[in-house]
Amino acid sequence: MAKIIVHFIVLAVFFFGIWFLLSNFDYLKHFRVEELTKETEHNLGDLILNELQKRGGELESDTVYSFINGIKKRLCTANGINDTSITLHILVRDEVNAIALPDRYLVVYTGMIGYCKSPEELSGVLAHEIGHIEHGHVMKRLRKEVGLSMLVALAGGEANGEIARETARRLSSTAFDRQLEGEADAFAVHMMAKAEIDPEAFADVIFRLSQEKNDIPKRFEWISTHPNSQDRCAEILRLRKQETYMSRPIADSAAWANYKKILRGSSVFLK
Amino acid sequence: MPWQSSRSTGFGILRKGYSVPLREFSYAPDEYETEKASNSYLMSLVVIMVGLPLPIVNVIASAIFYFANKKSARFVRWHCTQALLAQGCTLPVNAAGLYWTLGIIFNRTTVSNNYIAYILTIILFNLVEFIATIYAAVQTRKGKHIIWWFFGPLTEMLVKA
Repeated sequence: MAKIIVHFIVLAVFFFGIWFLLSNFDYLKHFRVEELTKETEHNLGDLILNELQKRGGELESDTVYSFINGIKKRLCTANGINDTSITLHILVRDEVNAIALPDRYLVVYTGMIGYCKSPEELSGVLAHEIGHIEHGHVMKRLRKEVGLSMLVALAGGEANGEIARETARRLSSTAFDRQLEGEADAFAVHMMAKAEIDPEAFADVIFRLSQEKNDIPKRFEWISTHPNSQDRCAEILRLRKQETYMSRPIADSAAWANYKKILRGSSVFLK
Repeated sequence: MPWQSSRSTGFGILRKGYSVPLREFSYAPDEYETEKASNSYLMSLVVIMVGLPLPIVNVIASAIFYFANKKSARFVRWHCTQALLAQGCTLPVNAAGLYWTLGIIFNRTTVSNNYIAYILTIILFNLVEFIATIYAAVQTRKGKHIIWWFFGPLTEMLVKA
């Protein structure tokens, strides 16, 4: 019996030893798998952003840009993320929507900014989308829904414009699956707490959107595509209790009202 | 005494027990027995094309052969058991590789250096097992008793005289 056990241990050590030795070689770098993925992701990001920009142009207000970039920076810096690696785009559209795109693009519609009652609510939405970016959900989802070969063809300019439009439409109008949304929510709660922003604001905006989506579903696309809003709110509030943080305001209500006033002058979002 | 090991078989290095030691069985099996024992190894090879994507198929094939020969002569039972144990041992290893691959296909996880290293490791182990199986099939057909590392002593413990 002892001989059998010794043999088994030797066999197991041999197996795991070979695995360990082989895993020290960087296959991905050697075979340029990651480089290919990064290049594909970069081209896809540009392509989809172009499609979205055709529907709504970039907001021409440095004041609002620098303010929202400031929120993004606060969230990222507190969580050890290089904020310049995430590029913010604010598009003038009345839809209440925010989208994470390939190549770390973060797109926010003016409709979403206008809808948020406080910069804290907006920071929750941004943190949620940054969660999708940080977890690599965007490419994961596109690989699943569009297929890797089609993505490579799209990125290489070999696929027609209709596919690019369809891909952009999918990203902006359909949700990630429940598990990925849950991951992004949990990430957002933790990210906000680290940045000294009360995550309750995030639950508030989701709750309000879930109340309104039945009235004007098209305009509230961000929430209508996100499943089980009530459950999400409950989970966000549960996760919030696990965090310890000191809440610090992003901007006072007068400053926030001023930013919204600027937006009202340049976009068509409803009040 | 389960077997005699005094006679030279011409495989000196192997006899020292490093990989595939050859020893004499307790009796000289007749041709019918050597054929069946050899077939027990071949059973795990004939379904290899199916067994690669679905590793359970190899185990099922070996298990069917094992149960069909449960009341055969000891030489046949012994080698059926060794073949079945070897297949049973590679099953979880291959199944883990299959599960990991499906996870990548269905986007639950991504290709990593660890994954590639694991696939290379199981390919290596399957290749060794494949060669050892062919070798065992040929040698048992000649009436020689092949004892594999780990599986041999385990089989000896399980197969009663």
